[in-house]
Amino acid sequence: MTREDVLKGLQERFRDDIIDLYDRSHKRVYMEIIPDALPRVAMYIFRDLGARFNIASGTDTRTHMEILYHFSLEEINLIISLRVKLDREKPAIASIAKLIIGANWIEREMYELLGIQFIGHPDLRRLLLADEWPRGVYPLRTDYEEWDKSAVRDRGV
Amino acid sequence: MKLPKVRELTEAVKALLTGPYTSKFPKQPHVAHPNFRGQPVYDADRCVGCLACENVCPVEAIAHEDITDHENPRRVMIHYTDTCIFCGSCEAACIADNRGIKLSGEWDLAFFDRSAAMETIEKELELCEICGGPVACKDHLRWISERIGELSFSSPTLYLSRLKGLGVIDENIIEASRDYGRSDRVKILCARCRRETTLTTK
Amino acid sequence: MARSVIPIGPYHPLQEEPEFFTLTVDGETVVDIEVNLGYNHRGIEKLSERKTFDQSTFVIERICGICSTSHPFAYTRAVEDVIPVEVPERAKYIRTIIAEGERIHSHLLWLGLAGHFLGYNTVYMWVWKLREEILDVMEILSGNRNNYAMFKPGGVRRDIKEEDIPVVMRKIDSIIPTIDRLKKAILDDPVLHVRLKGIGVLTKEEAINYCAVGPTSRASGVARDVRKDAPYGAYDRVEWDMIVTEHGDVFDKAVVRILETYESIKIVKTCLQNLPGGDIDLNIKDIPPGEGIGAHEAPRGEVFHYVRSDGTNRPARHKVRAPSYMNIPTCQATVIGETISDATIILAAVDPCYCCTERMAVRDSKGARLYDTKELIRLSQQKTERIKRKMGIK
Repeated sequence: MTREDVLKGLQERFRDDIIDLYDRSHKRVYMEIIPDALPRVAMYIFRDLGARFNIASGTDTRTHMEILYHFSLEEINLIISLRVKLDREKPAIASIAKLIIGANWIEREMYELLGIQFIGHPDLRRLLLADEWPRGVYPLRTDYEEWDKSAVRDRGV
Repeated sequence: MKLPKVRELTEAVKALLTGPYTSKFPKQPHVAHPNFRGQPVYDADRCVGCLACENVCPVEAIAHEDITDHENPRRVMIHYTDTCIFCGSCEAACIADNRGIKLSGEWDLAFFDRSAAMETIEKELELCEICGGPVACKDHLRWISERIGELSFSSPTLYLSRLKGLGVIDENIIEASRDYGRSDRVKILCARCRRETTLTTK
Repeated sequence: MARSVIPIGPYHPLQEEPEFFTLTVDGETVVDIEVNLGYNHRGIEKLSERKTFDQSTFVIERICGICSTSHPFAYTRAVEDVIPVEVPERAKYIRTIIAEGERIHSHLLWLGLAGHFLGYNTVYMWVWKLREEILDVMEILSGNRNNYAMFKPGGVRRDIKEEDIPVVMRKIDSIIPTIDRLKKAILDDPVLHVRLKGIGVLTKEEAINYCAVGPTSRASGVARDVRKDAPYGAYDRVEWDMIVTEHGDVFDKAVVRILETYESIKIVKTCLQNLPGGDIDLNIKDIPPGEGIGAHEAPRGEVFHYVRSDGTNRPARHKVRAPSYMNIPTCQATVIGETISDATIILAAVDPCYCCTERMAVRDSKGARLYDTKELIRLSQQKTERIKRKMGIK
């Protein structure tokens, strides 16, 4: 399976789901898809192409929420990143945690740090933040304001 | 299991004969390897007071204070030794041939009082002749004018400061103040006053 | 049929990545395990957005004390992927030398800790004494035993001086006979065979489903290593082998780590002998807008960094993924079904970046405290004693 075969296969199978395919270099491909197509495309890449799920990175741009799912195809030295753009007010997307066990923790982390709902996640609760952290305050968002007035902000001397 | 036993026994005997691997610190002091990155130390003669180290420091361990007292204007460079991470960025960014602040080999730095955990040096500061604010350190202006040679005569701040330092011209005995005329442009000025005197006139 | 819940944790202020494991136990067998994290969440991804690209390498290398090179290596590769640009040859060799030196000291550290859990305290002290030689080598090369501050986007910060190389080669050569003796002493020991073989097995299919990385997956037969699949640095200019075994138990994980130490020594010596001349830094001034991905094989697995730049001198988004993030959930597959006295060594076989199973507590169903840290480690050491007695060895 060569790089061209993989890309052609993806473009033919998911013709209606792919919004944009950015072939950046021989090692990096960024593919934007519609959010509803995420489970199908992710399972095709994970199961049929035999790629390894690396991690998902959520970003808050000022206009929308974006998640990038990174998959590594080691035999041909290629990293395919699937990009989905979500609405910023109520971001929600289908969860792939039941299909790929390795995605369980990162979806919990994105839920608590960015406020993205993962529909169908078996156990969506806090992973990293403390229990005293107030609900509805998402640290990685751009409009995050520090809520703890007693925190030390200088050298502390 | 005879053979492994012999192996381990020889190792044990060797260890008994050579003694313990650890040293008797603090009775036996430890001198670090010359490549070791220890505490940064300022060199007051070489430092020009340009604040490059303060801008580059990743943990904000360097600060400065400008004292604009007319009798003794000076800039105090403060290095907070408890915040410093000994990364060497300040030494790499120093414009005085990387010698204004250098990493020494000192590592035994424990202390009891955090508010006293700082090292300071003082540099003479050049003050603006109109507003009295800081322009730059005298050594910094000299560093610039040495490097651009005769081009320093394009800036009155640079050449007046340099010639005053050499003792070639006298102190300005006429009271330095704004007169909104040409004479303002031939004074030692800070950036804001220089902009105002260039753009406005009576 | 009484089930009791045993928490292993919680937060210990001295640890890098403390975790809290809750084991549900039926008699002596573990039937369920749950992991709680976040006791030391420092918000590094948010902090990295406030520092410039050059300054954040110092924050990034303090994510972990043991893999202190791996995170800046992956981060600088990600920033160089945004532009994209290749660093000079000499910088590649120096980066490889520092990364492999760190791998040696990290694997030796793990070996010592594993020895401590099993009751072989002599191995613990012996291996850590050996590790001092490597730490001296790192001090000569970079100026510090940990947190080397050598990496910057575009190259390395400091050069290796010619007169230091013979001293470093001598120190490395002096530890090879001791590692040989250690390897034979550990791999030939019949007590260790009984103790570790067949314990905590992670099958190849589970390793793929959990997306495990590093020696954890290489011990289960998954032949993946970032240094071979996507070569960078000097890894494609030096001859070395990837170590893969197939059983997936704790013994195989130990074997993979010991043999990898030999390969690292080979790489360091070859790189030092063939160090090319030239620049060590590209002096990058501007990072254009874009996205970049950088990966590096840390001692524990693949480190993955994703950097997005918006054209200013600070990152717009920086995602950090440590290898233990993918490896620790595999404890669900490895610990369930094993006995409680094996739980410590199975959890430590994943090498969770520092001994995270340090603080442990055992409570019965009413919440009264039965055992503490030392007692649980002693349970594990006592099992070794029992096995030794059964085999007739003193």
